[in-house]
Amino acid sequence: MGKKTLEIYSVELSGTKDVEQTDKEDGKERYRGLKNCFHSKKDHHTEKLKKELDLDDHKLSIKELEKKYGTNIITGLSSTQAAELLAQNGPNALTPPKETPEIIKFLKQMVGGFSILLWIGAILCWIAYGIQYSMNKSSSLDDVYLGCVLALVVILTGIFAYYQEAKSTNIMSTFNKMIPQQAFVIRDSEKKTIPAEQLVVGDIVEIKGGDRVPADIRLLSAQGCKVDNSSLTGESEPQARSSEFTHDSLLETKNIAFYSTTCLEGTATGMVINTGDRTIIGQIASLASGVGNEKTPIAIEIEHFVHIVAGVAVSIGILFFIIAVSLKYQVLDAIIFLIGIIVANVPEGLLATVTVTLSLTAKRMAKKNCLVKNLEAVETLGSTSIICSDKTGTLTQNRMTVAHLWFDNQIFIADTSEDHSNQVFDQSSGTWASLSKIITLCNRAEFKPGQESVPIMKRIVVGDASETALLKFSEVILGDVMEIRKRNHKVAEIPFNSTNKFQLSIHKTDDPNDKRFLMVMKGAPERILEKCSTIMVNGQEQPLDKSTAEAFHTAYMELGGLGERVLGFCHLYLPADEFPETYTFDVDAINFPTSNLCFVGLLSMIDPPRSTVPDAVTKCRSAGIKVIMVTGDHPITAKAIAKSVGIISANSETVEDIAKRLHIAVEQVNKRDAKAAVVTGAELKDMSPEQLDELLTNYSEIVFARTSPQQKLIIVEGCQRQNAVVAVTGDGVNDSPALKKADIGIAMGIAGSDAAKNAADMVLLDDNFASIVTGVEEGRLIFDNLKKTIAYTLTKNIAELCPFLIYIIVGLPLPIGTITILFIDLGTDIIPSIALAYEKAESDIMNRKPRHKKKDRLVNEQLAIYSYLHIGLIQAVGGFVVYFTVYAQEGFKPNILINLRVEWEDSNVNDLEDSYGQQWTWYQRKYLEWTGYTAFFVGIMVQQIADLIIRKTRRNSIFQQGLFRNKVIWVGIASQIIIALILSYGLGSITALNFTMLRPQYWFVAVPYAILIWVYDEVRKLFIRLYPGSWWEKNMYY
Amino acid sequence: MRRQLRSRRAPASPYGYRYRLDDQDEVNQNYLADEEEEAEEEARVMVVPDLEEEEEEEEEEEEEEEEEIEEEEKEEEKGQGRPTGNAWWQKWQIVNEYLWDPEKRMSLARTGQSWSLILVIYFFFYASLAAVITLCMYTLFLTISPYMPPFTERVKPPGVMIRPFAHSLNFNFNVSEPDTWQHYVISLNGFLQGYNDSLQEEMNVDCPPGQYFIQDGDEDEDKKACQFKRSFLKNCSGLEDPTFGYSTGQPCILLKMNRIVGFRPELGDPVKVSCKVQRGDENDIRSINYYPESASFDLRYYPYYGKLTHVNYTSPLVAMHFTDVVKNQAVPVQCQLKGKGIINDVINDRFVGRVIFTLNIET
Repeated sequence: MGKKTLEIYSVELSGTKDVEQTDKEDGKERYRGLKNCFHSKKDHHTEKLKKELDLDDHKLSIKELEKKYGTNIITGLSSTQAAELLAQNGPNALTPPKETPEIIKFLKQMVGGFSILLWIGAILCWIAYGIQYSMNKSSSLDDVYLGCVLALVVILTGIFAYYQEAKSTNIMSTFNKMIPQQAFVIRDSEKKTIPAEQLVVGDIVEIKGGDRVPADIRLLSAQGCKVDNSSLTGESEPQARSSEFTHDSLLETKNIAFYSTTCLEGTATGMVINTGDRTIIGQIASLASGVGNEKTPIAIEIEHFVHIVAGVAVSIGILFFIIAVSLKYQVLDAIIFLIGIIVANVPEGLLATVTVTLSLTAKRMAKKNCLVKNLEAVETLGSTSIICSDKTGTLTQNRMTVAHLWFDNQIFIADTSEDHSNQVFDQSSGTWASLSKIITLCNRAEFKPGQESVPIMKRIVVGDASETALLKFSEVILGDVMEIRKRNHKVAEIPFNSTNKFQLSIHKTDDPNDKRFLMVMKGAPERILEKCSTIMVNGQEQPLDKSTAEAFHTAYMELGGLGERVLGFCHLYLPADEFPETYTFDVDAINFPTSNLCFVGLLSMIDPPRSTVPDAVTKCRSAGIKVIMVTGDHPITAKAIAKSVGIISANSETVEDIAKRLHIAVEQVNKRDAKAAVVTGAELKDMSPEQLDELLTNYSEIVFARTSPQQKLIIVEGCQRQNAVVAVTGDGVNDSPALKKADIGIAMGIAGSDAAKNAADMVLLDDNFASIVTGVEEGRLIFDNLKKTIAYTLTKNIAELCPFLIYIIVGLPLPIGTITILFIDLGTDIIPSIALAYEKAESDIMNRKPRHKKKDRLVNEQLAIYSYLHIGLIQAVGGFVVYFTVYAQEGFKPNILINLRVEWEDSNVNDLEDSYGQQWTWYQRKYLEWTGYTAFFVGIMVQQIADLIIRKTRRNSIFQQGLFRNKVIWVGIASQIIIALILSYGLGSITALNFTMLRPQYWFVAVPYAILIWVYDEVRKLFIRLYPGSWWEKNMYY
Repeated sequence: MRRQLRSRRAPASPYGYRYRLDDQDEVNQNYLADEEEEAEEEARVMVVPDLEEEEEEEEEEEEEEEEEIEEEEKEEEKGQGRPTGNAWWQKWQIVNEYLWDPEKRMSLARTGQSWSLILVIYFFFYASLAAVITLCMYTLFLTISPYMPPFTERVKPPGVMIRPFAHSLNFNFNVSEPDTWQHYVISLNGFLQGYNDSLQEEMNVDCPPGQYFIQDGDEDEDKKACQFKRSFLKNCSGLEDPTFGYSTGQPCILLKMNRIVGFRPELGDPVKVSCKVQRGDENDIRSINYYPESASFDLRYYPYYGKLTHVNYTSPLVAMHFTDVVKNQAVPVQCQLKGKGIINDVINDRFVGRVIFTLNIET
């Protein structure tokens, strides 16, 4: 067993330098998902894709290729040929995902939500006027005005929502701007630089290290060319490319380089075989656009809420239409009642408020490095119950760092924190002196010049990940490495290659008295050990005996078990007599010894977790969010990182762990005992959906290792089958289907590809997992606060609706007009309802489970009932008291008001008697009616202040929450009062607005009701707190 | 295993199974969220689940609409295109069962007990709300005097109205066709019944003209009213000419000023009435006779003490006898009140201190 694992390690280690072996092992598997994706597409589409995949360009000889594409590898295409092909096949660029035209987006806002109801209201107004006009040519234009006002309201709120949407999309457009790419191409026998967009099939292009591959190309010749296929496969291991045909599959053969991958080093010449959307990446991107975007939870909630409110509005409207008709009202009047009921019932300002609230949160989240592309996604994070996270870059720092050292038979821990600030291991030993020398000298990585002022850890390095880690490590400890290298002049070097698995260099020493050459070597530990006959302990060379070899193996196993990449280091001072100063080393003939060296030590490296991540994972856990790690890395590395960040908690074991502990076979372990599971892509491949479901259900801590990005999609779908709201992080191009499929796709801002960012709903600007957690917190808070906002807004609807119902049934003069209602909905109530978005959480929202998608609704029965039938009714009563007070004090006592409607509204009746026998002209009555509107308006406004205060909390007392903690609430209250004052006293003389100057005392009539609302709600909350789980809580907690 | 257990006890209807699935989802959810519950959950599954627990679960089911939405969502999720008719039938079943579930004796997802509790609570809540509003209105009436309204600004300055009034201020009639003016006569006769001399002499006192008829004393004392006899209107009283001049093309129109409690024309000047052509040729109306001849409302009819104590108060009238008006064309007439403290030019209110009507007398 031990032996076997060792081999795996060596594969992993060699992976540092050469990908060949890993490629062979899991290359097939890595692309499997990709093919699967293709096959899962619809019939004719599949056929087409299959055909594309069946391309045999990699198998063809150069001559055949030339013939096929009508080109010549020396002269390239002619300009005319190229122009023809360009016209025929289109530019070499990915078609951007189909954007909904702006006008459609705008129209959607115009008819979405309540707009349609309001349009109906407006149209009914015009119809009513039409009927009136046909009966009486001089009928008043009031209905036309009202219709226009309603239409205006719809259009304005529509424009507002559209503007908000557009603003949040604009943030993204900065990301979409791609730097125009240039390609080096041979055409008309000349080397030219043209924009990559103009490449056509058959073009001969040259690529060099640092370039992005401009199209899918078949390599014709290559010199040390390595590409980073991470945008395609998610693996960031560099892969060698050559002109040889090595594999039947187009995806795995070495002589094809793919569009949008990066050439890391070397140069190559190739022929373009696919451009634009026909490239492999293009096909994946179009696949992503084929995956339907899931509706966000908050969109579902808002839709649900709109359904409820619209349902209530329409049913009450129709009910009272029937009542009105059966009460012998004219149909025309009944229509006008219907309009009033609709306007009263629809919270016109609410959707705009929700948009503002969401964008406020989006802004707040952007400050915390979560850039939200789709406003509605703000809340989605809050309801997330599973996060499928990448490892590299998200959970880890995305850079190799020296984690452990082994020398003098001891393991030392190196500091892996972000700044490497304190390296505390013992540096006095002579072995360390030797080891540090090897680390410094046997290293080809270099800092890019001109970075002296940059902190070491942030400097840009030319070289691969391991060498960079070693370079930075030694720079931190020893100081100027480049200077040391200069003093120890390098005379010969064998770079790393996959056959010998070591790197060697020979140096002159900086000791002027020592004329010996120093040979330093590093590489796969077992290979290095094979070459050694001695080992250095405490600065002294000792023969390498069995016990020291044993110690080496133990250390190697231990470090490997931590998922770390281990390198062995050894050196040899070449005897001066055999190798005089003038000796010429020949690295091809190897005219120097490479065995019987002196083993110095081991160094292990890991991509360490970000320091904030363990805390964030703990937070997720207490918030009931399951964190699943999905990585392309080796299971052991994945598990080690998972353990160190807490995705696998310290005391939980996998089935394999239990088996190992109890010394029994894996099959004998009771699977229920294991909480954690590490599943490899290969295992996942063989799982049926049911087995995957079972896995996801039964294990609380899951790590998927060695998975292809395509398998992410399978995992996401599995999670969604559990009814979970799934967040997925991703950066590669072929993460994009998974990002789209997820309820919320989170792309990495730094490492992420454009395709991933396009597919995602959210972009993490700092690639940091911890930012997701703050996002979750904000999302949950916004859900709670939206609940409060909606409860606040719905309440007054009853107070606006009741007047109409009473007006129809009892025949009182109309207590509140339609325009006045609009002034409440879109005037006094707007700022307060936004202010609720600033409310702090009542309790630790990160300590409760994510909401259940189907059970914890934004607007539930309790909320609607409590708002409508409790507080709403109190408000209506309060409003009526103000109304009756005004009328009674002017001479119309309530008893005389009953059934007065017809005479009251007859403009020919100009001597209507009140309770005192006084006679009123029509206009005098109208003015009194408007005073009544204003009074009712003020009554509602005063009570809405109380409503606003009580909505600050749902369970806690206001005094626990703090009356003054949320300052914006007070801004809201002030705005309410000021707007009301302006309407009454400022605009009181404009008759069209139906406001009048109200006597000051009427402002206070509703105050007792406001106090009643507050007291009533405090009592409700008190009982909820006193009797949790009781009947009261079930019915009264929203 | 859990799934099997659940499905075995699922009712035959596919909808029932759907619910079980939902429960399953919930269980999963808990599972995912809280591994502590794992053991507990398991124990529950092992034990035969009792009906009690299930009822509770059912009770938490949500509104009709929501279920429908859920249903739709489910449908989409599953993506199994069932025949639409079947889906509608299922929906109907769900609604039906929601309204009345015979198995659990529940209506609208509540048991009888739950319903009665709800009703009792709401009864008390609304009863106390009603009590509060009653109390408020009661205290309101305590503060308002039944004899004198607290504010009279809105009803001042007085409005003006004319008789006959037939829901229109256009007097169109043809002298030779009695049918066209008969209803004016009937209306005037009816209106003047209360002004019959006999009635006025019986009910009201003859108080001295030219001065306010001020009756001091307690607010709640009954007040006497001054006589305004029909005969004061002379030619327009309908006593001599029962057609009020309509038969001769010389119509009488009575003008009255709206009653306002406590209103007194200022400085002892009675309010006068004057009419003229509103727009057009002033000579369209060549003469108007006013009755009483002073064309004013005598001061003795003021102040008005309100309906409650001033029961027999008779509003004074001024009759306008349009003796010579241009015939066969519409003549707009504006009659205004004139006097100190009288406003007759409010733009919005064409009945304050004035009245505008048209005469179109055809011959």
